[in-house]
Amino acid sequence: MDATGGEFAKGMAMLGAGIAMGLGAIGPGIGEGFAAGKACEAVGRRPEEAGLLTRTMLVGQAVSESTGIYSLVVALLLIFVV
Amino acid sequence: MTIQIVDWVQTGAMIGGGLSVGLAAIGAALGEGYTAGKASATLSYRPELAADVMKTMLIGQAVAETAGIFGLVVSLLILFSPTSGATMLTGWAYLAAGLSMGLSAIGCGVGSGFPSANACEGIGRQPAISGQLTTLMLIGSGVAQSTAIYGFLIALLLVYKSFPDTATVSAICSLLAAGIAMGLGGIGPGLGEGYAAGKAIGAAARNPETLGVMTRTMLVGQAVSESTGIYSLVVALLLVLRV
Repeated sequence: MDATGGEFAKGMAMLGAGIAMGLGAIGPGIGEGFAAGKACEAVGRRPEEAGLLTRTMLVGQAVSESTGIYSLVVALLLIFVV
Repeated sequence: MTIQIVDWVQTGAMIGGGLSVGLAAIGAALGEGYTAGKASATLSYRPELAADVMKTMLIGQAVAETAGIFGLVVSLLILFSPTSGATMLTGWAYLAAGLSMGLSAIGCGVGSGFPSANACEGIGRQPAISGQLTTLMLIGSGVAQSTAIYGFLIALLLVYKSFPDTATVSAICSLLAAGIAMGLGGIGPGLGEGYAAGKAIGAAARNPETLGVMTRTMLVGQAVSESTGIYSLVVALLLVLRV
């Protein structure tokens, strides 16, 4: 097992990619699920507004998704560019 | 003291096997306990529904248990795989497989507990639609299990892939990172999808005529929530397959 400088940095970049994507997926997963749960609750109260509620839920989830996409981009950069 | 490659592989297998079943047990047990608690609370004010509630509770607990069973299967596979012909990387792959399976099962076990618990409570409220509520619970908790299945997939890939003889730092780190990415990445979607399914069942039990639209809203919400789990799967696959 040889650990020259470049090889070590490459290894740490891979580890960084794994940690970035792993931790970065926790927040959006829970947050979007919470939004979906509350939307279901609201549809149960006002079934006639189901279309509006689904639209609002999707817009909210799309914003919540952004940090997950940032994590994905950073992870891919660390894998392929560094 | 000289450490042979076989010792490295066995050490990795022991730690990985322990992590896999140990972490997976946390989630499954929490989810099942939450279900049993809600079922008991329901029976305290509707004792006449004991048969229905018990049936749904056991089905829901069985689904929540799947994540724990995946953890056990991966643990046994790691512990009893042959060490002949193994390279140093195999030991690190076993450790990563344990992380991938164990961590992702935490979220899915707890997540599957929410729909089962709310289904038990919902049957107490609306015993007439207990069949439909159980079906909705099975769909919801089945979707919540999906990231545990991704974790299982990555763990199997790590256990059965053959690795080159020379272990470089970047190869070791790639394998570990794949396990961490899929393991931690599986927690959030599992919890979130389970919460969504739980709320959908609770709402359907209050207002049974919304069952159809509720199933649709729940599935759309869960599908969006799943996306970060799929990103994690993609990153983990990229990391494993580059070694």
